[in-house]
Amino acid sequence: MALLQEVTSSFLRRFRAPPASLHRIWASQCRHASTEAVAQETDELEVSSFLQAEGPTQQAIERFDPAGVAKRRNRRLPPSRYQFRSPRYYRGPLHPHQPPRPSEPSSREFAPGPFSLPRLEQTYHDTLASDYMVLAYAHLPPGQTAFKKGDRLRRWEGDSPYFKNRPLRGPRGGDTLRLLRKPVTFRNVPQLQRVTVHTMSSDAINSGAALHVSGMVLQAITNVRAEAHEVKKSVAGFGVRAGMYLSLTCELKGEDMYHFLSKLVDVVMPKMKDWPGVKGSSGDFSGNIALGLKADEVALFPEVEVNYDMYPPKLIPGCHITIHTTATTDQDARLLLTQIGIPFFGKLVN
Amino acid sequence: MNAGQKSARRIAASNGPISRDTVCFSCLHRLTHPSRRNASTAAALAETPSAPTQQPRHPNPPVTTAKAPRKAYQLLASPVLSRPPLLTRDLTSFEKAYYLYQKRLNERLALPFTRYFYYKKGTPGDAEWKRKIKVRETPARDIGVYAAYGDEGWNDEVLVGDRTAERESVVEALVRDAEGKAIIDEEVVGDENKNGLAVAGDAKTGEGQRRDLTKVEVERPVERVTEADRANDMRSLSRKMDRTLYLLVKNREGRWRFPQDRVYGRENLHQAAERILVQGFGIDMNTWIVGNHPIGHHQMNYTSGGAPAPRLAKITPNRLVSTSRDRAEYEQEEYGEKVFFMKGRMMTGQADIAKNEYGDSEFRWLVKEEVEEVVTGGYWKSVKDILAER
Repeated sequence: MALLQEVTSSFLRRFRAPPASLHRIWASQCRHASTEAVAQETDELEVSSFLQAEGPTQQAIERFDPAGVAKRRNRRLPPSRYQFRSPRYYRGPLHPHQPPRPSEPSSREFAPGPFSLPRLEQTYHDTLASDYMVLAYAHLPPGQTAFKKGDRLRRWEGDSPYFKNRPLRGPRGGDTLRLLRKPVTFRNVPQLQRVTVHTMSSDAINSGAALHVSGMVLQAITNVRAEAHEVKKSVAGFGVRAGMYLSLTCELKGEDMYHFLSKLVDVVMPKMKDWPGVKGSSGDFSGNIALGLKADEVALFPEVEVNYDMYPPKLIPGCHITIHTTATTDQDARLLLTQIGIPFFGKLVN
Repeated sequence: MNAGQKSARRIAASNGPISRDTVCFSCLHRLTHPSRRNASTAAALAETPSAPTQQPRHPNPPVTTAKAPRKAYQLLASPVLSRPPLLTRDLTSFEKAYYLYQKRLNERLALPFTRYFYYKKGTPGDAEWKRKIKVRETPARDIGVYAAYGDEGWNDEVLVGDRTAERESVVEALVRDAEGKAIIDEEVVGDENKNGLAVAGDAKTGEGQRRDLTKVEVERPVERVTEADRANDMRSLSRKMDRTLYLLVKNREGRWRFPQDRVYGRENLHQAAERILVQGFGIDMNTWIVGNHPIGHHQMNYTSGGAPAPRLAKITPNRLVSTSRDRAEYEQEEYGEKVFFMKGRMMTGQADIAKNEYGDSEFRWLVKEEVEEVVTGGYWKSVKDILAER
């Protein structure tokens, strides 16, 4: 009787619980935050002496005085104890002396990192970027499709059979394609990328001092060492030969760029006399805007004004400032720069 | 198996026989041995999931036409007026330590300071420079006393608890430097000629080397924490200068909300937002409504015990909206409220609750956390993602 019951119950069990679908089994085995209580993070970490170790005692902290220990030392240490030069050449991954990463202070390529959090950068991320997103949003009512532009590269239309796989033609009016403009989203807001400050002095044709003075001025206002450029082609009309060093550029990125633009917008531009603003036609159709400063206006920078007498008269140069942004059109770049505080005048050409 | 979860999930969803060639052993084991932890798996019915149809869908589908008569909602515009942060945020302790260390490393790598380019020989400025550099050993004023190329150049790291990187120390050093003093008080040295009396400065060169004829008054930087912060005056715009402040009002029902009002006539949301600010707080506010479209919305349906309870609203023309006068006063049955939030920026001025035309009793400028405390749950849900963190 018991055996019969067992047989019938096992038989019925098979019918009562039909196999669940594979999809359900899969979904049930996936762990979500809601299905299981989140385990303590520290439980998942490996046991390590770092977590168990206590810091130094208060007495140890108070007695720590490396400079004092060095002063009280009578004997002289061997040079190897305090001198280290990282290897000059990379000799492969198996060599015992590996060069340190460029971010290490002991590396030969180390460049000291950011010294501050620039005000303009913070303002951009906290205030300007969100305003930009709101301004650049283009609403599409439900049911409407976006306006579809024609093909950028046009097909060859006609009877000829040779048109079939021919490379597509460029747009009307010229073969250069403009950059595609992606809609502005929270991941895509145009940002400042870099600033190039450039100056060319024709005085440098005759005197070498003029180029040095220009370099000093550029270095003072940008905090970056200027790079000199050769003339590529001789032009007799200007009295210029190939190979002459006549121009300098400074490329500013990151912290230097933000500090430079803050100075330009807050200190220099308000002091400029009868300055209407940046020309509305400025822009290279790819989101980079350029402006020029005359010699008198460059002298308004605080770093130049402080020791203005030290520079030889009339050798402080003017310069071109190109602001590169991640915008792909002129309007987007101009909107960003207007938010930063740069005024534009005249007809805006896109 | 080639990829991770997705390909296995696709095979699981296909509901066909699992081939041992395409599914790896561990996934095969999991699929054939369902876990017994979840009660639902044991009692699950055999449901065949519908095969996903790959129909191309309209990217911007229209709102479906209603079958029943359209319900009217009260259409409201609500300017979310914010005063953006006026000060940079405080640096974290890690940032302070990092920047100080990087500045000291820069001292060790940079070329020496060209003093005669800035101070002409023999000028008072040069004398002042020589006096000051002796004390602080470096041209920089915000890294403490540190000689990068001296004997103790190796000692570039500061000890735990050092206050050199703190803002107060930097400000103090800069102010002292501007006043003409050395950034730290020099050690007082006793002079035997003066009967052991203390003499400041270099005893060899003698006292009285520097005479303060006029006391240089240097303007100290204004404090970041203002009176309004200390008094926690929630109506002040000078409170919490490093955060974004939002303008909220207590409406006639006693609820804290962003200022809101109905949209009248043919005005658009931008115009409505500007009008609401004027009608709610007077004209002494210099504001800018950003863009023509809303940044968020909130819907509240009128219900009574779960069932919809429409209210009859009387819409009178608004004195500031000329197109609302085209139609005389009319009535409308409304099933709820739809509020559209418009982003606004405050430049100068202050709100004046005395000029309020909506019966709001008070206003406050609050940061995001304070808005959460003061506003109801459903409203907060609609509003929390449009407020800035800082």
